[in-house]
Amino acid sequence: MNRRHFLATGTAGLASLTLPTFLRAQPQATDLTAPAPANPFLDWFSIDEAAIRRVMTELTANGADFAELYFQHKRTNLIRMQDGLASQATSDIAQGVGLRVVVGDQTGFAFTEDLTPESMLQAARTAATIASGGRATLPAHFDPRRQGDLYPIKRPWSEVGLDEKLPLIQKVESRLRAADPAIDKVTVQLTDTDERVLIATLDGRLLTDRRPSALLGLMVTAKRGDQTQSNMVSLGARDGIGFFTDARLKAQVDEVVARTLVLFDARRPPAGEMPVVLAAGASSVLLHEAIGHGMEADFNRNGTSIYSDMIGKPVAAPFVTVVDQGNLPHELGTLNMDDEGNATGRAVLVDKGILKSYLHDNISARHYGLREHVGSGRRESYRYPIMARMTTTFMENGPHSRDEIVASIQHGIIAETFTGGQVAIGPGDFTFYVKNGWLVENGKITAPIKDVNLIGNGPEVLKRITMVADDFKLDPGGWVCGKNGQSVPVSIGMPSALVSRMTVGGENV
Amino acid sequence: MSDHDTTATDTLLKLAQQAVEMARAAGANDAWATAVQDRSLSYAFRDGKPETVSDSTKRGLELKLYVDGRYGVYSTTDLREARLRDFIREAVPLTRQLQADPRRRITPPELFPTAPAEGLQLVDPRVAGLTREQRLAWCRELEAGVRGEPTLISTICSIEDGRKLVADASSNGFSGAYGKTSVGFFQQVSLRDAGPGEREVGSERRAEGEDGAACLHLDDLPSTARIGEQTLARARARLGSRQGPTMKGTLVVEPRAAMRLVSDLLAPAKAGNVSQGQSFWPKLMETQAFSGKLTIIDDPRRPRGLESHPYDREGIAARRLTLIERGVPKAVYADTYYAAKTGLPVTTGDPSNQIVQPGERALAEIIRAVGDGVLVTAWAGGNADPTTGEFSQGLNGHIIRGGEIAEPVVGMIVTGNLKTLFASLVEVGNDPFPYFALRTPTLVFENVQFSGA
Repeated sequence: MNRRHFLATGTAGLASLTLPTFLRAQPQATDLTAPAPANPFLDWFSIDEAAIRRVMTELTANGADFAELYFQHKRTNLIRMQDGLASQATSDIAQGVGLRVVVGDQTGFAFTEDLTPESMLQAARTAATIASGGRATLPAHFDPRRQGDLYPIKRPWSEVGLDEKLPLIQKVESRLRAADPAIDKVTVQLTDTDERVLIATLDGRLLTDRRPSALLGLMVTAKRGDQTQSNMVSLGARDGIGFFTDARLKAQVDEVVARTLVLFDARRPPAGEMPVVLAAGASSVLLHEAIGHGMEADFNRNGTSIYSDMIGKPVAAPFVTVVDQGNLPHELGTLNMDDEGNATGRAVLVDKGILKSYLHDNISARHYGLREHVGSGRRESYRYPIMARMTTTFMENGPHSRDEIVASIQHGIIAETFTGGQVAIGPGDFTFYVKNGWLVENGKITAPIKDVNLIGNGPEVLKRITMVADDFKLDPGGWVCGKNGQSVPVSIGMPSALVSRMTVGGENV
Repeated sequence: MSDHDTTATDTLLKLAQQAVEMARAAGANDAWATAVQDRSLSYAFRDGKPETVSDSTKRGLELKLYVDGRYGVYSTTDLREARLRDFIREAVPLTRQLQADPRRRITPPELFPTAPAEGLQLVDPRVAGLTREQRLAWCRELEAGVRGEPTLISTICSIEDGRKLVADASSNGFSGAYGKTSVGFFQQVSLRDAGPGEREVGSERRAEGEDGAACLHLDDLPSTARIGEQTLARARARLGSRQGPTMKGTLVVEPRAAMRLVSDLLAPAKAGNVSQGQSFWPKLMETQAFSGKLTIIDDPRRPRGLESHPYDREGIAARRLTLIERGVPKAVYADTYYAAKTGLPVTTGDPSNQIVQPGERALAEIIRAVGDGVLVTAWAGGNADPTTGEFSQGLNGHIIRGGEIAEPVVGMIVTGNLKTLFASLVEVGNDPFPYFALRTPTLVFENVQFSGA
């Protein structure tokens, strides 16, 4: 809990998922052992090993179980086309170093955007005040390491000019305008980032990563008579401009137009409890909120998560398996290494209905006595301390079909597209907001619905998942996960599934 | 402001002026630079011992460029002179590649402040003098407020304070700077809930409570004892929560939760939303759209206000803005660009201290008068559509029965349309929560749809 979070939400202990890829290859194992040929990032940040050693010495002057220097340079460009004009652009460079020292469960943290030795040493002295012991032992060398290559791109975004970006957004904008006479207003926005990360750890690793990402947002307002409706979609990946193929762009255009126009005929379902079909793909907002946050180990080592005492216990039907995987190629939630320099990978949260494993950062892994763990330590930037976070969270395929699920419902809804979700990690109570969906009556889809909130409790809803289909889909959208005032990109996915009973925020007329 | 801050402000202002000169030299017709420096310290205590100490020093520059009718915004934290010069040299031709937009112009000088801002009281010099020992003592006092609670699982409390300096310079004569301090206490507690709950969680249930306060001046903070009491009371009130019913009835929203509804109501009150057809406000302007009990103003000149400022991010002089007067929408937030696009008058693009005018009675009196309904103490997540006003929000709160606060409820949702909701506002309390920039008292609405069991 902090001031920023308190002022933003008026409450604490909350985590949220909001809108601002497809599985294209089998996951690759990350490799943290092969030596890198050189380290050009040292030059980029105008530092050398001697400077790192001096700062690390100061940072660990009062003792340390572990510590790191996290250098980051991130350039973010945005170009927006609105009302037929590509006339709005921003470009941001954020560069700095975050210094962290950990002793037991205690963390000293400081950051500075002034990378002079004096400024870094001053920040290190403040962070070091958390500890009161003797000086830590520094490694003989900081050895460069190379990690996986999960987001190779032909050209970094820094080499892609407006001459290439403008035609892309203009093409999307003109297609949206031509899609239907009801389309009244169109905004298309392309955001790209090129991020360099250099991590020096107390155990002597010097790790680098270059992280690209791109996000295309399509926002549409339509008018029919005196009614106005608006909607949006986004498409994101850790990839270059080549990701935005014609087929992908067309799919997004069709999707946002259909999602918007159907709102004119949509209504609210009745209020109360009913069966809810989670459509394949973005419905994984529910998994993210209902189980993902509760399985992040920081809330469990403090005993405050509802899942703190449930490892090894059955929490769902045997056909329910939930995974968080940080090494899916090109996903927005993917990282070659986490922000503590650990290899990312596959963490099984629920294995055939049994609660299996938390998501760990170094502090929690040590707390639980783990000899190794899947790297889930993440931070928004050098300005924030590291926490255990999700990457790409999904449910695996089950034994049923979507048609079977729909046919089984007398009166319920299908939840299809979402604006986001939120969870109180302690009690496990969560909500997620359905923008588009369908009413199901007597086993048939009968009418579109819109703008309903669904509410439930994580462990309760997991137990009520009674059918899981075989139509797994990762959502292509750009999702942003917020926790304790920090936002990080994540990915989500799942097959269609049935929750036998959930409370739907409808209206009874 | 201390001598140190005065020197730092001068340095920032020089940086902004230097960036404007670099931009002009690189070919920009006009430029606006904002330089910011922000230092904050936070200490967090968990279960009686220090968990985190954090020291943040931000500094950065934002530059708005106007080049041959084109416009771009560039920001950087890399302020080394050579890097900055390269950054700006690169930005000018980049801007030139965009399409021209005749409505995008640098803020005209007639909108600048004409006199120095007096009386805002944005800086408390004592904040800079806070010691580590004082911060840690406060943490211990907060923690002591919940110590001994038999169902306690964990508590975290934190102190955060900071100083921010802002300086602006433009190619058409703007030059301004101001500082702001902040300080806050925050606490959260998690309790074991062995109450008569009926939920199938298969795990030990938990109840949480939190409280906090953020101010610009130390004098305005509540006592640590009060924060501790409130935190524990709010957690205890959640013990034994169960799902409430599906019903229609009266909705009472306590001040810190009412902030969410007012924020959703005001979110489309922006010329940018109006321009894109994503606002239900235009059709309601100058009509009796909402209850006559609703008056909301935006006051950036409120002394010690969390979001007070002498001028906004475009350099427009801060002035009071009436958004809704006795239920009649009167104005929206409009920066120079979207005002030009929509034909609306320029007000400001930056919401500041949004204040709902209070009524006569306190929450307890209101509960007695309401008789039966639902009291919301916190929202559990949801959304509101700025285009149509449709909203749906999960809630935590209590049933109101016979004029008394009864059992705690979870798993309920309020659903409706913001237009009809605020038309059905029947009472505004006299009890605004003073530690948010959006200050609203208790709000009472009639004939509201609740979804539950």
